Amino acid sequence: MTLDSNELPGSENPETGDEGVSEFLRDTSLFLAPDPLIMNNHGMEERTALEDRSLAAETDPARLEIVRERLLAGANESFDMLESMGAAPGAKWGDCVSAIFTASGDLSLASTGGVVIFCNLVQYPIKFINKYWTGEPTVGVREGDAFLVNDARYGQAHNTDQSMMMPVFWDGKLVAWVGATVHEGENGAIEPGGMPSMAEQVWDEGLKMSPFRVAENYTLRRDIVTFLQNSVREPKLQYADMKVKMFTCRRLEQRMHEAISEFGLEAVVACLRSNLEDTDVEVRKRLKEWPDGTVRHSWWTDGTLRENAMIKINLALTKKGDRLIFDYRGSSPEFTNRSNNSLDITLKGMLAQLFLTYIWPDLPRNQGVLAPIEFIFDERSILKPDFGTPNAQSMMSVFTSWSVAQVCVMKYLYSVPDKYTRVIAPWFNMINTFLFGGVTQHGEMVGNVCADINGMGGGALSDRDGQHSCAPIFATMADLGEQEFMEEEMPFVQLVSKKLMKDNQGFGRQRGGMGYQMILALRDSPVWGFMLTAIGSKFPNVPGLFGGYGCPTYPLCRISNVDVFETMQSDPSQFRFSIEELMNERPFPEGKYSTHPMFMPYSLAERGELYMIAQGTGGGFGDPLERDPEEVMRDFHEDLVSEDVAWRIYRVVFDPETRIVDEDATRLARDEARAERLAQSMSFDDYCAEFVTEKPPAHLPYYGSWEDPAMVYAGSPDRYYPAGQVNPPVIMPNPLEVKIARLERELAEARRG
Amino acid sequence: MMERVSVDIGGTFTDCFLVWGDQYVSAKALTTHQNLALGFNAALGQAIGQLDLSLEQVMGEVDSVRYATTLGTNALIERRGPTIGVITTAGFESSVPLSRGRGYGEGLPDRFRKDLPMAQRPEPIVPIPLIAGVRERLSEKGEVIMALDKEDVRSQVRKLVDRGAQAFVVSLVNSVVNPAHELRVEELIRSEYPEHMLGSAPIILAHLVAGRKGEYARTSSAIVDAFLHKAMYLGLSTLELNLRDNGHERPMQVVHNSGGMAQLNSTDALQTLHSGPVAGIGASEHLAAETDLGNVVCSDMGGTSFDIGLVVEGGVKFYDFNPVIDRWMVNIPMVHLVTLGAGGGSVARYDRLRRTVAVGPESAGSDPGPACYDKGGRDVTVTDADLILGYLEPDNYAGGQIALSEKRATSLFQRNIGKPLDIDAVAAAKLVKQKVDNDMANGIAQELRARGYEPANFTLLAYGGNGALHACGIADAIGIKKVLVPPFSAIFSAVGAGNMDQLHIHERSVYLQIYDSVTRALLSDFDGFNAIVEQLEERGRQDLVRQGYAEDEIEHRLELDMRYGNQLAQTAVVVGQNRITRNRELLELIALFGRDYGKRFGEGSQAPEAGIRINTVRVASFVRAPKLAFSKVLPDPETLRPAPEPEVRKFCHFIGRDEPTDTGFYRLDSLSPGHVVEGPAVVISESTTFLVEPGWRLSVGEYGAGWLERQDIIGEAE
Repeated sequence: MTLDSNELPGSENPETGDEGVSEFLRDTSLFLAPDPLIMNNHGMEERTALEDRSLAAETDPARLEIVRERLLAGANESFDMLESMGAAPGAKWGDCVSAIFTASGDLSLASTGGVVIFCNLVQYPIKFINKYWTGEPTVGVREGDAFLVNDARYGQAHNTDQSMMMPVFWDGKLVAWVGATVHEGENGAIEPGGMPSMAEQVWDEGLKMSPFRVAENYTLRRDIVTFLQNSVREPKLQYADMKVKMFTCRRLEQRMHEAISEFGLEAVVACLRSNLEDTDVEVRKRLKEWPDGTVRHSWWTDGTLRENAMIKINLALTKKGDRLIFDYRGSSPEFTNRSNNSLDITLKGMLAQLFLTYIWPDLPRNQGVLAPIEFIFDERSILKPDFGTPNAQSMMSVFTSWSVAQVCVMKYLYSVPDKYTRVIAPWFNMINTFLFGGVTQHGEMVGNVCADINGMGGGALSDRDGQHSCAPIFATMADLGEQEFMEEEMPFVQLVSKKLMKDNQGFGRQRGGMGYQMILALRDSPVWGFMLTAIGSKFPNVPGLFGGYGCPTYPLCRISNVDVFETMQSDPSQFRFSIEELMNERPFPEGKYSTHPMFMPYSLAERGELYMIAQGTGGGFGDPLERDPEEVMRDFHEDLVSEDVAWRIYRVVFDPETRIVDEDATRLARDEARAERLAQSMSFDDYCAEFVTEKPPAHLPYYGSWEDPAMVYAGSPDRYYPAGQVNPPVIMPNPLEVKIARLERELAEARRG
Repeated sequence: MMERVSVDIGGTFTDCFLVWGDQYVSAKALTTHQNLALGFNAALGQAIGQLDLSLEQVMGEVDSVRYATTLGTNALIERRGPTIGVITTAGFESSVPLSRGRGYGEGLPDRFRKDLPMAQRPEPIVPIPLIAGVRERLSEKGEVIMALDKEDVRSQVRKLVDRGAQAFVVSLVNSVVNPAHELRVEELIRSEYPEHMLGSAPIILAHLVAGRKGEYARTSSAIVDAFLHKAMYLGLSTLELNLRDNGHERPMQVVHNSGGMAQLNSTDALQTLHSGPVAGIGASEHLAAETDLGNVVCSDMGGTSFDIGLVVEGGVKFYDFNPVIDRWMVNIPMVHLVTLGAGGGSVARYDRLRRTVAVGPESAGSDPGPACYDKGGRDVTVTDADLILGYLEPDNYAGGQIALSEKRATSLFQRNIGKPLDIDAVAAAKLVKQKVDNDMANGIAQELRARGYEPANFTLLAYGGNGALHACGIADAIGIKKVLVPPFSAIFSAVGAGNMDQLHIHERSVYLQIYDSVTRALLSDFDGFNAIVEQLEERGRQDLVRQGYAEDEIEHRLELDMRYGNQLAQTAVVVGQNRITRNRELLELIALFGRDYGKRFGEGSQAPEAGIRINTVRVASFVRAPKLAFSKVLPDPETLRPAPEPEVRKFCHFIGRDEPTDTGFYRLDSLSPGHVVEGPAVVISESTTFLVEPGWRLSVGEYGAGWLERQDIIGEAE
């Protein structure tokens, strides 16, 4: 069995002019790190000779469409397998995907369900394998092999995901790849569950699998599986899901073989390639329909998951002809010892999801959608960190960057006559859910994340409210799951489970879809802990659109020194079924009530103490003073807004008993509110003179550009550098040491009297 | 001698199938929504007229009258039902409104599921103000975490009544393992609003509607059940009364979506949903067994949709554990059925991206309908393509009820598809036929392959108005070489209703580790397991005894939903032996599960090392009923002979042939069992059109059945 290396663009020798040196350097490398030539190219590879031949031979679009539908049916079938057989919670709620790639590694066809970003990123490890392992005598690529990867730097969204890739051979030649990815959760990191906020180095992030072969002749190697099981907290999960992914790939490989047998190799290859090229052409056509220009938007994240900070994401989005350029320069510098940095490939993958779900959902799910799009980042920024910088919590920066892009794109779309879906305010974007780890009531060691991650509220539209807790920004048809199943397997109980939270609303003429609250307590485990890895307790995660409000901020609330299960037996009347009542009424006399940022490192839990958070709302659309008072009354009747909000935000005057609106009084109140606004208004120049400062305030730990995107701050007004040249790099102190130092200082001051 | 009436009441037509000894007749009448009995009487009257019998004679002598109906689905879509108040566990009030997040896309085609800005959950059956939480909580094992607060219950019930509740659903967390709190809530409601009072509201307890865990899907099941309860009761009891008035003394039988039937007094409204299509699958199962067809994939192609069901040898049962009814996920075990948006009315359009055509899922419906109906529709459809290709007779469509305009179809085809692709209307119509046949074929292939089967090993059973027209095209696309258009294909669900057994399914969620991979121990509590099975068998037995069946007639089939480790996959294993008494039987069960799992997901994919669990114990209790005889449906090979020359010949267009082909047009009623028609040919009956494509041949069977075979396999056989 041989490979035709000329047909793999990634494996061509660079023309250096000195053949001997090139070969020496190639053969004498210490370590095969991710290859910049691969990682910096999110577009399509050049056509191979086989693709050229196939496209010349197969010119009937109708026939290619039949082939495509056949392959898509195979991808969907394998996705169903993955969801059904997967043991990871992520697989069960749709946090997985299967896909077909060209021989060169380009994502050509993803399953209809599942997470596009996952498979979009698998192009990179496939290209790495093509380039480095194909000709490597100790590795090679053969029929029946399967490769595994989880290290985000080689091409994953984050290290908690694991992707398996299988080559598809025909007549001894590599003709395609298939892949399956699952958000596995546990990966042996410094904290359980696979997304460690405590990681200060990449080596704290758990398994670091560069693309490597784990199966030969369609059989997993037991020695490798054992090594991986030995490296994580959930050996059962590691084993079961490697098997699941391999059989999923194998099924998809089988469908590829059947399609080739039926339609011929050239038809299948032409189909895969034309999928990409057709999408590229179509995207360029659609971009031409947008007005030329530049739209700018900035937003901030409010923490690193270890400490509070104002971290800027800056975007200038330029559209010219059929080009679209995302310029993220001026965003925060990287945090060298924090996990909230995102790789640029992760953001690109997420933006593929933005286009394929929120802008052009009719387009086929492949990477051709990004081919006409360009990206610019500062080196060593939070969106393009160094190789050694942790990124396990990339979502903390990538989701905000995604929302900033969503706002910019919506501003373009508003003016485009031919839309392929609706203009929408930002979807909520944060993973407001608990991670957990410990020993279950069945004696199993586990570490993973709750499905509540999927309950993000939808943004509002111009003529209707957003959808309550509907879907995560990165997937469609994801599942919140059923609490009864969760309790069967896990030792904690949600006493309030996904109950919509009053006033948790992105206000607007149309309001955002609301988020729910969760109140949970450990009940039955010898050792158990929770962690929380979200931001947005001080600065909201998403803005509104065209005058609508963004989401509120959300804290973590805790009540300790209480066993709620005992209280429910002895005096059940003490318990309240909302965070608001529990925290404001403080019904447990001995309880200790506290609020925290939405990040909490893994902490052991006591039986019966309460952990409480809320999911977020999508952004509102338009001015709340224009909201139909009857819509406000509907929300009031549904206990979604309080009387206070109905008045203070929406200025609706009504009888709370009958919910009858006093229309004249409401009109008057709204006119007065508008008059107050006008009274407070000032000219742009006056505004700048009064509010705009040269530098960020000294008390604020501020990161990113202030006015000039070419210059960034690195935590204080006196740390000001050209973007990409922050030196010394941002290294944060251990919050525990900061706390000890503060206490020692206070102690010393107290001793001094 | 078997004498039986079975009926399928659809939204438009009431289909009737009458068995009178060895005579089988069918009839159709318009459904009369205001009083279903009128439509039934009209259809039955037509059938009786064919046999020259009297109504009194038939009603007095038939062994049973059986109903399958889609009325519930229609009532749900049209939102005809009472105002329901839901009582749930405090803290879980938003489970129903949030519908597990994904509720926005349930029941919709993929295209709409992928589009989040357009995501919109359906108008709720129960709006938020009619959902009340009560203070109580049970653990996953049924232990009381928080006792039921009776005063709170009374207060919440009063609130719901004040808000207009006309029926109650009580659905509390973990009630399937301990229903005590649900039962207590029912008592409290009844103590406030006694049953003998006028206006007393029905109370549906969720654990009685669905026995499995999953608080959202169970509550949703109970809501749908409560919503349809009154309409279904009134509709069906009117029918029962009508039967009695006409001299039929036996209780009426209602077909269930679990694949069996029961008396009206033992039927939940929820169990009747989709019972028509399920009856069609039941008929297919029986037909396959009678005629030794082996594995069969059933397909019902109508005007707007294409239903797919599976029947395989060996008694393997395929269920949907969380079927979606209209837009609502429920959790009752329903015979597996997939519906694609492809039918005669599916709209075809130019696909700019692919430079070809796309078909469906939108449908032109019946008004304005396809362009060729000439009722103002400007979209072109699959039916327009079939007309342009020459397969349909413009003056004789649907028994001559609808005149078709070929001119309008051609003109709009040329404008909508031909012009952007720079091809003529015939070429465009070929693309549409090819596309829709392939879409349906892919739907079938995906269904089969996801369960470990290959289409080439199946016979396609094609019924519904457009089934016989597209069957060869579908089969060709996925390598199926045999197609049976069954007898009475236009009323096949009614035929299926005539073949059902009395059957009740009871199930219970369990957490049973039969192999614990942590402790490396096999299940040892056989008595505990057997007690659960016994309990479920007893419930089934009581159901059937209550309906007058003797205990010795009752059989039980044990099914276990099993999985490895913490997977979501649940493989329904049909267990031969209903009790486990020793380890050897347990190991046999593990091996049986392994075989089924390996067949579905690939040999070697089993992962017993991760542990093996039973999630659901399900018992189907049934009484076998005598079946219809269908052995002559397939033509006897000894009697095969060429059909007489057709009266009409026309030129039709076929995919893969550049030039139009001379094609014979036959009337089915002019052919007899054993007649063979070689393709290309068109055979027209009152209710459907058989398209015998080039490379196929049709042999005529009894009762209008058509046996289509690829000519190449006939050659092989010979």
